[in-house]
Amino acid sequence: MKIIVAIKQVPDRDAQVRIDAAGKWIDESDLQYALNEPDAYALEEALQLKEKHDGEVIVLSAGPERVGTTIREALAKGADRAIHILSDDLGSRDALGVARLLAAAARQENPDLILTGLQSEDLGLGQTGVIVAELLGLPHATLILHVEKTDTGIEVKRELEEGWFQTIQLPTPAVLTIQSGGNKLRYATLMGIKRARTKEVRQLLAADLVPVASPVVTLEHIALPSKKKSTQMLTGTPKETAAALVEKLRFEVRVL
Amino acid sequence: MSGILVVQEERGLGRNRFSQEALAAGRVIASLTGLPLETAVVGDKNTPILAETSGAPPSAAYAVEHPLLNIYTSDGYALAFEQLIRKLNPAYILLPHSYQVRDFVPRLAARFNQVLIGDVSAIESGPLFTCQLFQGKLNARYRHQGDGPCFISIQAGAFRPDLPAAGTTTIHPFVPDIAPEAIRTRPSEPFRAAAQTIDLGSAQLIVSVGRGIKEQENISLVQELATALGAELAASRPICDNGWLPMERQVGSSGQTVAPKLYLAVGISGAIQHLVGIKASQCIVAINKDPDAPIFEVADYGIVGDLMEVVPALTEEVKAAKQ
Amino acid sequence: MLFSLPTLAEPQHFSIAERFLFTVLVLASAWAFWHRFGVVLNKILKSKKDPSFHLFPIGKRIRDFVWEVLLQAKVIRERPLAGLAHALVFWAFCAFALVTFNHCATIFGLAFLDPSGPIGRFYFYFAAIFAFACAAGILGLFIRRFLVRPKWLGEQLSWESGFIALLIFALMATYLASFFVTDASISVRALWWIHTLALFIFLPIIPHTKHLHLLLSPFTVFLSRGGFSQIPPLLGDEDFGLVAGVDLTQIVSLQAYSCVECGRCTEHCPANNTGKILNPKEIILGVRSFLNDLGPASDQPLLGKYNSQEAVFQCTTCGACEFQCPVGIEHLPILIGLRRGAVNTGAWEDDHGAKLFLNLERGSNALGINPAERDKFIERQQLPLFDGTQEYCLWLGCMGGFDPKGREIVADFALIMNYLGASYGVLRKEKCTGDPVRRLGNDLLFQQLAEANLEALAQNKVKKIVTICPHCVRTIQEDWKEYGTPPEVEHHSEFLARFADKLPPQKPQPDQLPAQNSSEGAGGFNPLERPNASNWASAPGTEGLVSGHDFSRAEGAPSSTGALAPEVLASRETIVFHDPCYLGRYRNVYQEPRTVVSLAGELIEAPRNHERSFCCGAGGGLSFLGEETGERVSQVRAAELTATGAKTIATACPFCNSMFRDALASNSEGAPQLLDIAQLTARSLPAANTRTR
Repeated sequence: MKIIVAIKQVPDRDAQVRIDAAGKWIDESDLQYALNEPDAYALEEALQLKEKHDGEVIVLSAGPERVGTTIREALAKGADRAIHILSDDLGSRDALGVARLLAAAARQENPDLILTGLQSEDLGLGQTGVIVAELLGLPHATLILHVEKTDTGIEVKRELEEGWFQTIQLPTPAVLTIQSGGNKLRYATLMGIKRARTKEVRQLLAADLVPVASPVVTLEHIALPSKKKSTQMLTGTPKETAAALVEKLRFEVRVL
Repeated sequence: MSGILVVQEERGLGRNRFSQEALAAGRVIASLTGLPLETAVVGDKNTPILAETSGAPPSAAYAVEHPLLNIYTSDGYALAFEQLIRKLNPAYILLPHSYQVRDFVPRLAARFNQVLIGDVSAIESGPLFTCQLFQGKLNARYRHQGDGPCFISIQAGAFRPDLPAAGTTTIHPFVPDIAPEAIRTRPSEPFRAAAQTIDLGSAQLIVSVGRGIKEQENISLVQELATALGAELAASRPICDNGWLPMERQVGSSGQTVAPKLYLAVGISGAIQHLVGIKASQCIVAINKDPDAPIFEVADYGIVGDLMEVVPALTEEVKAAKQ
Repeated sequence: MLFSLPTLAEPQHFSIAERFLFTVLVLASAWAFWHRFGVVLNKILKSKKDPSFHLFPIGKRIRDFVWEVLLQAKVIRERPLAGLAHALVFWAFCAFALVTFNHCATIFGLAFLDPSGPIGRFYFYFAAIFAFACAAGILGLFIRRFLVRPKWLGEQLSWESGFIALLIFALMATYLASFFVTDASISVRALWWIHTLALFIFLPIIPHTKHLHLLLSPFTVFLSRGGFSQIPPLLGDEDFGLVAGVDLTQIVSLQAYSCVECGRCTEHCPANNTGKILNPKEIILGVRSFLNDLGPASDQPLLGKYNSQEAVFQCTTCGACEFQCPVGIEHLPILIGLRRGAVNTGAWEDDHGAKLFLNLERGSNALGINPAERDKFIERQQLPLFDGTQEYCLWLGCMGGFDPKGREIVADFALIMNYLGASYGVLRKEKCTGDPVRRLGNDLLFQQLAEANLEALAQNKVKKIVTICPHCVRTIQEDWKEYGTPPEVEHHSEFLARFADKLPPQKPQPDQLPAQNSSEGAGGFNPLERPNASNWASAPGTEGLVSGHDFSRAEGAPSSTGALAPEVLASRETIVFHDPCYLGRYRNVYQEPRTVVSLAGELIEAPRNHERSFCCGAGGGLSFLGEETGERVSQVRAAELTATGAKTIATACPFCNSMFRDALASNSEGAPQLLDIAQLTARSLPAANTRTR
């Protein structure tokens, strides 16, 4: 099976985000970057499929030079080769624009499967994978926990709301967006990193691949949320606090 | 031909709150733009949700009917709504940000060279749409550019549904043209995970008990609360060490790591070995009689009190709320 | 006088046939000896070279050789009676060297020691004393092995050992008997031949059995790696640790063949003592079997048939095994080498281990907690930030930065530093030193952490570090050397001991004062006056333990001003000190924490103390892994410490503190207080130094 895993390098999940001087984006100096966690699960699923059915796992990522570290990490975990779409202005493309880049690179490879994480930890749109499927004219499924190969294509396990699941049969080639938690992630090993040094990373220039088009959705303004997270202490008699808590659970936490 | 189209999602009687919220959001845009409000849903004209409409009824409702739409597929829904949108040519299309919408609408929007503005929590004049970035650490306001239709999905609970108001809606049937080959995926019936295994890792609601419970017999109090909430029962290490609950229910560095929507910690002080197991929880509620317990540092809501009194009171309130 | 005593009798002449027989015997024996020994030597020499081995400085090697080999100090000290018996046998062998040569020379008429001459006579008497001692020693050891049967020698009786004991006894007995016969008798010839036979049967047995240590162990001790738990660097792109036979180095092979199967390592292993399958002796013998069966060129995995991965990951790296070994085997580099082989190749699949690695791959600390929490702690505690001008960098570590108890210890130590007027600061950002991943064998992560930290320290111009965690101390000082030059680092016990005379004298704790309100029981403290370490951990009372902090009461108590009554002084709090593995055996620091403890109360020792201290169970990365099998190491040690009857258990390591806290909490009846030495010291500081929030 030839599997492309589209990954994204995102700022570290625990990082303190500060708004930059222009107020248009976050201050990127002093940020640590890491592999987007849902993409790590997508990579893990792809590697397990390769271990079961042979084939090739190719990681695909768009972004500036620094994305190279995350690509190497993915190669160290077991991917065979990589495609890096060099772009310094990814922020000026909307989800459709980014998906066009990824689709163009994937189209050249003609894979059996394209896997990507459900959503990214920075923007959290959760759309890029689905748009790629549309651009390539391929069937897709989202929120996937597990993939099995069948004679007619693949069967996948999908998460539904409120603790339900379903399986879906679809033909290959197809695009899947992978939900976190379906597998146990493997750790990067010294052996993996050493072997990664000799694996191919093909660089493509974004502008050559797909020219920048004007985005249909633009970011006007970003701001820190007005209330900071603090502990709300509920006071009163047991009955009063219980009632207050249930109110919170219904309307703020929304679990009742 | 322009207007606001709110696409609702029929889920069963009394379970359509999300769609009501989408309608409410639609009305916000209507008041900002002066455009008429219409709605659509997959189903026939007797679809219950069309009768449940809250607030001033939309000027038109479209019942999108086709046998191939009886089971949700992204291909089917994308095709059907593509045709409806081409016919109605709305300026805004609003949907609830449900799993289903996230599955097909990005595809649908791409057909119009558009991008879905997803999980919107506020709409202001502009119109400007507010979403959260970096897992809630930042608020971002987006604007739609160009003449094409603007696709928006709204965040659950962000808009309060309106109360019902007088007026009727004309229901128009809409039958899309869908060839069987166009549907490429075959979904199965939904199923639940096996009930026997204790999988705290994927539990959405967890009630957890710690040493504050003092006696083994008292755990039944907490179990009742868990049952009332529909939550899994978990425990900190000392409880499992004593054998009061099985090891599989242990949460913490030497037990399970959990990430539920709600983690209710009863009588747990918050030692670090426990905290590392729960820090990914979306909401932590703590009940402890010690106001200085470390758990209150990480809790979103806290009650300082005797759990022997608070827990039964809570169980009652939860049961009443679920009526 | 001497000349009237009987002297050694020897046959005066030998026939040609006898000489021929003797020659054949010698040659056959030598051949049989070399047939095996040559193979062993070949396997050792054919093993991979140790790239980091340095013969110089040679002083320590010579000292160790004299102390451990010639004087048999370790052998005797760690198992006195059996050790002495063995020492006598060894010294007898040494003393006998000339006797043996002379014995063999006599058959060819080349004897150089004349039994009737003064030198010969003296020497033979000298050797006779040793022969007697040796015979007694070997008899004692025989009785121990075959009648007493201590479990460390294994379940099965070793007939080979019995036979050797018999041979040695025969050698000594025939020698001694020769004093009581005459040159001309038949018996003297018989004795001579029995002695000769025993000798030349013994010789080839040596390389076929564990008695190989007779030849190898002097070299093993001399050619040690040069330090305790000295982990060798990986060399080149294909070196991932001890994966297969080809990875075994000459030192490892030499050590594997030197094992004398005494079982002292296993006897002191905390894992083995609590029902785990790990057995340090079996690890070494597993390597030896591998070498015997497959050899050093084999690409077969070392873990599998000969040693199990499960056993290897039960090790807390406490070092009791390596410390005990009388023949110089260094268990820790071998165990960690085997772990490296499993982790660096991804062969080790463990959920908790993977989680630890993934946490450190993306975050800053081993606990996987948001680094912002550490910033909050620093701010709340008002710890000064290191700006390059201060003398010390106070390194928090993962426990000091994120663990509630660790934070209390840091906060108290900071108070002490303030009181002493020390100039210090805390780094704005720290990454984990990498200790758990180093001991688990993840060199990729360790390199990343070490290099990132070294760079940060250099950038911040850090010259001296003081920290509360012995694991940090060890990793910074020793393990980081592989990737750069670390700054000086010391443990807070060493720091405190240096300034012991400047610390205020301790008044007895309020609960020692007669007829006072006790501060025992939960919640018996005033949070407003207590110098609170952090918002995360201000509830020591919730576990039913007595708080060590109660400034308000101590200062306000009526009899605390002015002279103290003698009966009060006499009733000082008893404190048992637990030696952390990474401070004691790893760093040889035993006295300094005791100095600090003695300032606070009356120091008492646990049954296993100093170098014999029994691990708390957290080391080797194990506190980050899942549940243990068998008994909990921490509970065994906590029970031992509690059984001393001490009122307080003093620790000097936040991991020990954390492990005992759990262990004591599960049996809360009358459990002793648990305090770090910094906390013990801080409670004597005047209230004026109490930092308010």
